[in-house]
Amino acid sequence: MRFRLLLIPLSLLMIVTLKSKESSAQDDPRASFFEKKIRPLLIDHCYGCHAEESEELGGNLRLDHRPGWERGGELGPAVIPGKPDESLVIKAVRRGDDTLQMPPDDQLTRQQIADLEQWIDDGAFDPRKGSVDAPATSSIDIEEGRLFWAFIPSRFSELGTPRLEMESVQGFRGNNPIDAFMMRQWKAEELSPVSRADRRTLLRRMTFDLTGLPPTLEDMQSFLEDDSPDAIERVMDRLLASPAYGERWGRYWLGVARYADSNGMDENIAHGNAWRYRDWVIRAWNEDLPYGEFVTSQLAGDLLPDSGDEQTEIDRTIATGFLSLGPKVLAEVDETKMEMDIIDEQVETVSRAFMGLTMGCARCHDHKFDPIRIDDYYALAGIFKSTKTMEHFTKIARWHEVEISTEEQRQSHAQAVARAEAKQQEIDAWIKKANEDLRSRLAEDAPLPEMPEEHYLPEQKEKLAVLRGELTDLQAATPILPTAMSVVDEETPVDLAVHLRGSHLTLGQEVSRGVPEVLVSTSNLVSIGGAASGRRELANWLVADEHPLTWRVMANRIWTWHFGQGLVNSTDNFGELGDRPVNLPLLDWLAVEFASRGGSIKNLHRKVLTSSTYQLDSVATPENEQRDPENRFLWRAQLRRLGAESIRDSLLFVGGELNRRMGGSLLHVGNREFLFDHTSKDETNYASKQRAVYLPVIRNHLYDQFALFDFSNASVVQSRRAETTVPSQALFMLNSDLVMEAAVALVDRLEHSTIDPRRRLELLHLWVLGRPPTEAEERMLFSLLTRGPASAETQRSRWQLYAHTLMSSNEFLYLR
Amino acid sequence: MLKRSALGFGHLAMSAMLAEDLAARADRGAATGNDPLAPQSPHFMPRAKRVIFLFMKGGPSHVDTFDYKPQLQKDDGKELPFAKPRVQFAKTNKLLKSPWKFKPQGEMGIQVSELFPHVSQCVDDLCFLHSVHGTNPAHGGALLKLHTGSDSFVRPSMGAWVTYGLGTENQNLPGFVTICPTLAHGGVKNWGSAFLPAHYQGTPLGNASQPSTQAKLKYLRNQKLTSAEQQEQLQMLRQLNQQHLQDVGGNPDLEARIRSFELAFRMQTEMPLVEDLSEESEATMRLYGLDDPATEDFGRQCLLARRFSERGVRFVQVTHSDTKVQWDQHADLLNGHTKNAKEVDRGIAGLLTDLKQRGMLEETLVMWGGEFGRTPVAEGNNGRDHNPEGFTMWMAGGGVKAGFRYGATDEYGYYAVEDKMHVHDLHATLLHLLGLNHERLTYRHAGRDFRLTDVAGRVATGILA
Repeated sequence: MRFRLLLIPLSLLMIVTLKSKESSAQDDPRASFFEKKIRPLLIDHCYGCHAEESEELGGNLRLDHRPGWERGGELGPAVIPGKPDESLVIKAVRRGDDTLQMPPDDQLTRQQIADLEQWIDDGAFDPRKGSVDAPATSSIDIEEGRLFWAFIPSRFSELGTPRLEMESVQGFRGNNPIDAFMMRQWKAEELSPVSRADRRTLLRRMTFDLTGLPPTLEDMQSFLEDDSPDAIERVMDRLLASPAYGERWGRYWLGVARYADSNGMDENIAHGNAWRYRDWVIRAWNEDLPYGEFVTSQLAGDLLPDSGDEQTEIDRTIATGFLSLGPKVLAEVDETKMEMDIIDEQVETVSRAFMGLTMGCARCHDHKFDPIRIDDYYALAGIFKSTKTMEHFTKIARWHEVEISTEEQRQSHAQAVARAEAKQQEIDAWIKKANEDLRSRLAEDAPLPEMPEEHYLPEQKEKLAVLRGELTDLQAATPILPTAMSVVDEETPVDLAVHLRGSHLTLGQEVSRGVPEVLVSTSNLVSIGGAASGRRELANWLVADEHPLTWRVMANRIWTWHFGQGLVNSTDNFGELGDRPVNLPLLDWLAVEFASRGGSIKNLHRKVLTSSTYQLDSVATPENEQRDPENRFLWRAQLRRLGAESIRDSLLFVGGELNRRMGGSLLHVGNREFLFDHTSKDETNYASKQRAVYLPVIRNHLYDQFALFDFSNASVVQSRRAETTVPSQALFMLNSDLVMEAAVALVDRLEHSTIDPRRRLELLHLWVLGRPPTEAEERMLFSLLTRGPASAETQRSRWQLYAHTLMSSNEFLYLR
Repeated sequence: MLKRSALGFGHLAMSAMLAEDLAARADRGAATGNDPLAPQSPHFMPRAKRVIFLFMKGGPSHVDTFDYKPQLQKDDGKELPFAKPRVQFAKTNKLLKSPWKFKPQGEMGIQVSELFPHVSQCVDDLCFLHSVHGTNPAHGGALLKLHTGSDSFVRPSMGAWVTYGLGTENQNLPGFVTICPTLAHGGVKNWGSAFLPAHYQGTPLGNASQPSTQAKLKYLRNQKLTSAEQQEQLQMLRQLNQQHLQDVGGNPDLEARIRSFELAFRMQTEMPLVEDLSEESEATMRLYGLDDPATEDFGRQCLLARRFSERGVRFVQVTHSDTKVQWDQHADLLNGHTKNAKEVDRGIAGLLTDLKQRGMLEETLVMWGGEFGRTPVAEGNNGRDHNPEGFTMWMAGGGVKAGFRYGATDEYGYYAVEDKMHVHDLHATLLHLLGLNHERLTYRHAGRDFRLTDVAGRVATGILA
């Protein structure tokens, strides 16, 4: 800074001197050198990005007039007259530094570089005048940025709520405000919603939607027989209360949290304790933990006031694992870079998960599309720089874990340790005595042999072995105190300097820890004290009712997970390049409903499921299809393929093979051990029949069935998955053990249920598809059975073939 | 129209599909219309149609193989006269000369060490890139950088980008195949599609811990059902699915899934034909080194690569990575590199010769290299550390100059100094050879357009034939 202050007056002085010479510029050899060599070079190689006409001004640097290089761009003055070696321009064209290489596409020749050096050495004569623009600050206008739809808080008043009785759409009976919003839109778009789905379809839809599993035969029967007006509500309440609900919906969040049981990236090491976070998420969803608390626990669970409850305290520690679960390059040799990469991953994850913002773009420069400045990025990054995620950064780096023992565990641990110590003392004392005994057996002055134990009497040796055996047993019985991936505040919080072009080798100005300015309002300010990392302040700010993004983003996700269509389709990007809401009033109503009812997610489910919109059929009508072929306005239920987990779980479920035990770790390697090292030996194991949500998520090596059926990426925030159809999925359905064995189990189950082939066929269809067989299907099976020999073995294998076919059918895999 | 023809295709008999000739295949291309893997036009006239990447995991030493440094031989045991990089992987000592002799080879007299007696015979077809450099000195980071362009973030692999850009020529086979890939150091990410649609990810055949005889596509075969039973099953499945399609009033996703079973069935027929080497002559087997236990494993990978390439697979990667230390000779350079080079030398030379004989080389870009090179200075007394600052890769065929050397490292082979070619530049050049402009091959994700080359990348025009 001081350097620059000195420099500017000096160079101004030079302008003055040069000016006086300008009349004789033609005679000045420096002038002709500039005109012949330098000006054409700058025009050819630099003006593309560093001139007034440049489409995008690179690094905020202009080289088309003297003040441009004098003031310089983001990195400071580009040319220091008389000092080529210190001039950034020369550094850049020499390309010696990986972070600064210009021109990007073509290297200057040695002669051109030499010319530039000479020009600067001679004082950088430059006749090109011009005015210095405003100082090199951000071009982002925050106040204008605030006007973007997503940054305006959801304002919702009774006046804005359409009244059901005021709206009408032919053939559609609305049930709650959601329907009123939808009716308004359908009318505006000239769409007419299709009729209500039949009851079998509805039950299947609701059961898969809320639990990820098909309804049982009993569920179906009792629903079909229930004529009462609140039959739907009863089913809904039963499903929401079922533990399977958290296993299904918690998994959605795990996709947002880029949950994984291994690090992935360069060194694939087991996250041996990540499952605790996963189990906490499932519990939190089952208990309908208010969303505000859910968010706060994950960002700052360790910083909340003591709840006085042991389990709550443990849960809050586990919840901060959210910040630690990201993929990390653990063998990065440049430790500063590793640390900044980890912080970057946290900034990007937190901003996308909770706000639908892509802050990662602002690591190197102001966000190109959203009103997020590079300063905003480093303000947020400072919070995570002040948070201890890693124990150390020396390859292979080690993430931080925190002990999460209960009082009881600590006591039994201490007792076990004490017992082992006592045994050790007993052994020491016994050896001392035995040695004395040995000495008494030796000649008077003889020293104790080096290995006295070898000279013990047989019965002494035996006794010692017994004692040592007891010690080993005691040590083995000492419980290991559980730990969780978790973060804590660093002792001394710090602010970060802006890293120009994302590099820690080119630092700019320091910025105070904070949140993106465009989202700060007078009613929701953030003030981070000197002693705190700022995570708690960040969390409080995020979950305030008036935060424009937090509630909207999550309400939109819940809507999307129910319907397969978002109100905003880019569920993790509410920025400029994201999609615009198709129905903003409805989104805002949901967001306000969500925030104002204590952040209850189950309340939102109830609102959605009891709407008539949710209960529409999936059959298309030509008129609607023409107007809205993608069904963006949900005039019918969206046909959706089951997710990877539902496919697997349902295959096991219908065969009666699904193990309903909840929670626990299914990893087959210890914490921090390699899942994959250079031997490429596969240490993964997915044989468990617990629900898919409990199968290890191994980055870089997902379970085949997950990888094939579009499981979430597990390395980045992902609340919406792709739905691809590729032949390798078909191969899996046709040939994999999972499907083949499920068919065998299903036929075993049939054989145990009844001997009547017709009843078997009926059961088979009811279990797999939730409906009885058609006549055509009956004919298909019986013709299959009659072909080939009638031996029991052949018949069974024919049944298996048919069951396998049903389980591969679109009707099984797609939800209507 | 599109919908009807797609449905119509669903009714084709299986037997007819199997007997399909090329003309019918072209028809199918029209019927499937928006198939994401259908061949795409490049941005401009391509020089190569397909890629075979021979990846040497662990980091082969350039100064012991293809980058001859007489000064290093002279100054053995002396201090390196200039600074070592700011960030290094391991502690290193003084200059260590190469234990191998170099000899000029081919018409151009290009120096190759005695480690590669067979590849030496092909130097007139090779285009050496002596100035490749990366940024990451650790295996994981360097593998990810080389394969995906990023050692910090999850990005699509180059094979996925190529398949995304060009589609593939044989719809009965995957568009991007990786044979015996390493599962470590990025594993799947090195052939993954990240945010690109899943169609573009590489299909692994086996992995580095398995012999290449086991390099087969998973779930291709049914262990229990006979082919007749599977046909019966597919017939029933089609019937069920057609009824369901009618019930829901038509749906493109459901139609695509019906088609995918038919494609799968064809894949089931075609894939084993590619994997079955029995139709290859004994002379060909010998050419690839399948007659020697030391060379047969990698030789088979190379032969498989040719078989996939000739059937229109767009991008094939072959990985040499034993289960121990691969090319990573931090110690005992002499024995490690001797063993490694022996294992790959015949297979590589065999592949180049075979491609040339078949007239495939000019349309196939063969690329050879590791994630980095090794230091000219010693680690311990007989090893070399990782060196991403300057190392050698080579290309052959597909529109690159033959018998050519591009770029150079300093007199010891530590830093790239002349015509430096960053990994991004390598990617830009690779895409360019395939007719793709690296700045135009973009995919929008998370609020911005992504490229294989991020914001960098220069095409090394100097190597274009």
